[in-house]
Amino acid sequence: MSFWETITGSDLTREWKAFEVRAQALPPDYRAAWEQIKVHLFPHGDFTGRNLMPIFDAALALLEEASADGQGIHEVLGDDIPGFCAALAGGAGAPTYRDRWREQLNNNVARKLGRLGG
Amino acid sequence: MEDLTEMLKGTLEGCVLEIINGEETYGYAITRRLNELGFADVIDGTVYTILLRLERNGLVQVTKRPSEVGPPRKFYALNDAGRAELATFWAKWEYVSSRIDSLKEGRR
Repeated sequence: MSFWETITGSDLTREWKAFEVRAQALPPDYRAAWEQIKVHLFPHGDFTGRNLMPIFDAALALLEEASADGQGIHEVLGDDIPGFCAALAGGAGAPTYRDRWREQLNNNVARKLGRLGG
Repeated sequence: MEDLTEMLKGTLEGCVLEIINGEETYGYAITRRLNELGFADVIDGTVYTILLRLERNGLVQVTKRPSEVGPPRKFYALNDAGRAELATFWAKWEYVSSRIDSLKEGRR
């Protein structure tokens, strides 16, 4: 990753385009699942979402393999796409941006209180 | 048998380790093997997240092989850490199942 890419995230945009091209090649029910996976994975992202790129890549690879095997999407992912995404992101306890905001808020409050000599 | 999901949690990882221990294999085949064993509720997505966890924890060796249909497949084999983990799993399983059997038979 070059400095330019770090600043602009241009490599991410390029990767996204590649993901979407791969997703377009999937059967319709798989494409629908891909849309859902995106919705459920995004909250696990860091500020730029860079941490999610390998996870999205892995999820797409699974969809590609499974559709090539001729399986229905329901056989592959079942009903629990949110649960699947949480497991992909590293377990049900995977921090989301909300957790991080909460932590930040807690830290700020603690610091302010500390300054007041509380 | 249906609705085993809750009970299987925690043991499925050991089952997957055992299947990989038998021979180098890939996700879809592992799911089918579990289905054949009678775990009908197990789906690819579940097995896949287990495999990712095994990979993250450094218990398996992953090789990409071309397949006749679709993209290359990831094949999984156990490394030494994986075999050690599998031995631990069976030891724990022996313990739990013997305790539960005792309970069922009314012994103390």
